[in-house]
Amino acid sequence: MRILKFAIVALITGALTQLASQHQPLGTALPALGPLLSPFTGFWQNAEPMASPPDGVLASPHLKGKVDVVFDQRLVPHIFAESLEDAAFVQGYLAAKYRLWQMDIAIRATAGRLAEVAGERALERDRLQRRKGMLWAAENALKGWQRNPQEYALIEAYTQGANTFIDALRPADYPLEFKLMGYQPEPWSPLKSAIFFKSMAETLSSRYEDLSATNSRLVLGDSLFQFLFPEYNPRQSPVIPADVQWAFAPAPLQHQATDAPEMIGQLIPHRQLAQPDDGLGSNNWAVAGSKTATGRPMLCNDPHLRLSLPSIWYEIQIHTPEVNAYGASFPGVPGILIGFNDNTAWGVTNGSHDVLDWYRIDWTDEQRESYYYNGAPRPVDKLVEVIKVRGRAEPLLDTVRYTVWGPVVYEDPAAPYFDMAMRWVAHDLPEEKPFTEVGTFWKLMQSKNYDDYWAAMRGFDNPAQNFVFAQKDGDIAITVDGKLPLKRPEQGRFVQEGSSAANAWYGFIPRDQVPTVRNPERGFVSSANQHSTGPSYPYYYNGYFDDYRGRLINRRLEAMKDITVQDMMALQLEDYSLKAEEALPLLFALLDSSATALGARPEVKALRDWDYHYAGDAQAPVLFELWLEEAHQSTFDELLAMKDSLDVLLPETWRFLELLSQYPHHAVFDLQGTPKVEQASDIVTRALESALSQVDGESWASHKDTHINHLANIPAFSHQHLSVGGWRDAPNAISEQNGPSWRMVVALGDEVEAYGIYPGGQSGNPGSAYYDNMIDDWVAGEYYKLYFMKGPADRREAAIFTLSFESRK
Amino acid sequence: MILYVIALILTGAGIQMVLPWWILPLWAAVLALGFNLKAWPAFLGGFLGAALLWGGYAAYINSVNQGLLAGRIGELFGGLSAPLMVLATALFGGLFGGLGGLVGSLARNMLPLSD
Repeated sequence: MRILKFAIVALITGALTQLASQHQPLGTALPALGPLLSPFTGFWQNAEPMASPPDGVLASPHLKGKVDVVFDQRLVPHIFAESLEDAAFVQGYLAAKYRLWQMDIAIRATAGRLAEVAGERALERDRLQRRKGMLWAAENALKGWQRNPQEYALIEAYTQGANTFIDALRPADYPLEFKLMGYQPEPWSPLKSAIFFKSMAETLSSRYEDLSATNSRLVLGDSLFQFLFPEYNPRQSPVIPADVQWAFAPAPLQHQATDAPEMIGQLIPHRQLAQPDDGLGSNNWAVAGSKTATGRPMLCNDPHLRLSLPSIWYEIQIHTPEVNAYGASFPGVPGILIGFNDNTAWGVTNGSHDVLDWYRIDWTDEQRESYYYNGAPRPVDKLVEVIKVRGRAEPLLDTVRYTVWGPVVYEDPAAPYFDMAMRWVAHDLPEEKPFTEVGTFWKLMQSKNYDDYWAAMRGFDNPAQNFVFAQKDGDIAITVDGKLPLKRPEQGRFVQEGSSAANAWYGFIPRDQVPTVRNPERGFVSSANQHSTGPSYPYYYNGYFDDYRGRLINRRLEAMKDITVQDMMALQLEDYSLKAEEALPLLFALLDSSATALGARPEVKALRDWDYHYAGDAQAPVLFELWLEEAHQSTFDELLAMKDSLDVLLPETWRFLELLSQYPHHAVFDLQGTPKVEQASDIVTRALESALSQVDGESWASHKDTHINHLANIPAFSHQHLSVGGWRDAPNAISEQNGPSWRMVVALGDEVEAYGIYPGGQSGNPGSAYYDNMIDDWVAGEYYKLYFMKGPADRREAAIFTLSFESRK
Repeated sequence: MILYVIALILTGAGIQMVLPWWILPLWAAVLALGFNLKAWPAFLGGFLGAALLWGGYAAYINSVNQGLLAGRIGELFGGLSAPLMVLATALFGGLFGGLGGLVGSLARNMLPLSD
């Protein structure tokens, strides 16, 4: 009896203990409750005291000298080191200390290792990332770094710093998300830094429309396609002013083979893969001293990326005998990407060039062992991807076939004619040169003048960026920097035949011929993801360019003089939209030409008086956006009708507006399902009717519903329903989930004065007061004066705490 | 029983700093065995000791964190407030401490020397 009693109670206790130790027990979504709730090991250990942490000291054999880190009132670290490598070591240590889970999940998402921790639901995503060759791309980037001792030393030091932090972690110290998702941190590695870099390449340079453009062209015929999809907006104000003369003879386009079919001649049944978000983009500009109140140049940058918690950015100052720079860094990569030093400032926006093209593969056999290339069979290289899946005993093995073009991403045994390989600049092994992307940023951090800037530009390959630059004594410049494919006209707009080398790119635009300008007469340089150049640039290129922000910014900068820091902030926060300014009068002219009573509706009257500002509390932008969207969609009903079976392309907004104004009787305006022959005015009237049925007095902010989600989409760790205006066509490009992820204004001079803010906080820990402390100020359009320390002894502001690092041999 | 509670709190704190959470029921059982407790006092003592230890430590952490994280985690558990998360932590710890105590007492029962 006693034994039975004991046995039953012991069994129950053991079983409950076991159950409470299991992640997702009995098929529930629950984390392991025992370790999570224990105040000794669980989430309680991540609840940081509100009081400042004590100063700390740490010794490492990897350090050469002493490093001091001062944390300012916003938890921004100011690193004072005796060498660049020591600074990179401490940057890696701090990245891990404050952002380790973010670094881990970013790597998993990019390289296709999510299923390892998230199980089956992430498997298809992982397979796709592997098929896209993300890991292969990162391995090639790593090979490039390893050839360059100086660059690689920084990456190694960063890795050692991160691992110094990671190795000392006890389970109780793991970042909260590891506990919730029930897995353990792994060591960092140089390859992971490369993978992180490729995540940015994916975000910024993997957009393509080749499939939908091919289909649209085949459906419409070439002449209608060209009419609806012109490549250059004549009203564009390009990154490099259109009047710049190109003082070089362009490299000829030469190929060894000719006479091959170029484009695929059949509709493509595949779907486009998920594309980077709309609304990714950025603004940057620099104004010359001739236009500023200080007489010295100013530089501004606001990259529009996915808004997330933890934020993509981590603010940092790095001071060594060689460098004193401040700015925004990526957790996962050593260096500062957007920032300034005593002499110079630099920033980036996405170049938005099309550097990813598709080639149809002509298999020789059903097993897909080889394919035709230049008239002869050529075997594929097979790479077996091993994908671990949580909950499965055996990993999934997936064979990816590599061709001369790249990996065969689209592969469907049911439609073998349409297997397609991806040619993407981000896959390429870098050419031999003294440094690549990471080196570019460390050179910029150390730059003193224009020549240093121009030298730094040589290292950067991908994702191509508009690098803006200013120097305190006067120089301003901008360069569309990166490996830009040399293409014949329209090459890469459509899927090409992969059976001939003649369809390959013609190499790359020579690096001394990429679009660039220094000190243009107009006294400013700027970019907002628009076309790089005017039509006089001798090389063809295509891409996914913005049509409105850049033109408005240039118009404003042109008109400004005696510019102050406040003027620059106001321009970054500008919610005025040139798209609305151009579209609305057109819509109303067409509406008024038709006999409709809609114009008498109060909402419509209010829209007539709208000032084209996307203010958060305004209602007009809601109706305008719905109206324009309805009109756009219903005009191209003939294309949209095919959406269910084929991916097709709709003309860009600027071209749609041109059609409305110049071709209001064109056949595209006729609706397919009606006996009547509609014209633009009919479309616009019907669109307004439909739009009016959808508005309900909601404010723009509430309609847009901007949110900053936690990277695992945990609502309790996110900020949702932000009351904030702006829109992607306005300089203040806050859309649903993308927007100015870092705003920076730098006034150069004898004493550099800089301001910045990002919507997040320096700590990635939801249990820290510094997790989201800057969001409210960001929503309100506030900036912080950046505390740029001159040296370790410069203590104008109180520190929260300090960390000291010592060498231990 | 009071001594058992005090011993569980003091030694339990030290041992849980280094070992995983499941040491709690195990250690409560071992201590109950040593203190030679009857079934109910052992369960109650284990419950009380573990609940005070877990709840007290959680309450301290919660107060220096001003309820920030417990409130966020509470949202994951159906909207519990930070104080309720402290209570839930105490009850959860108490349950396993109590069960451990009971197991220890019943084990003692089986030994030939027990009364």
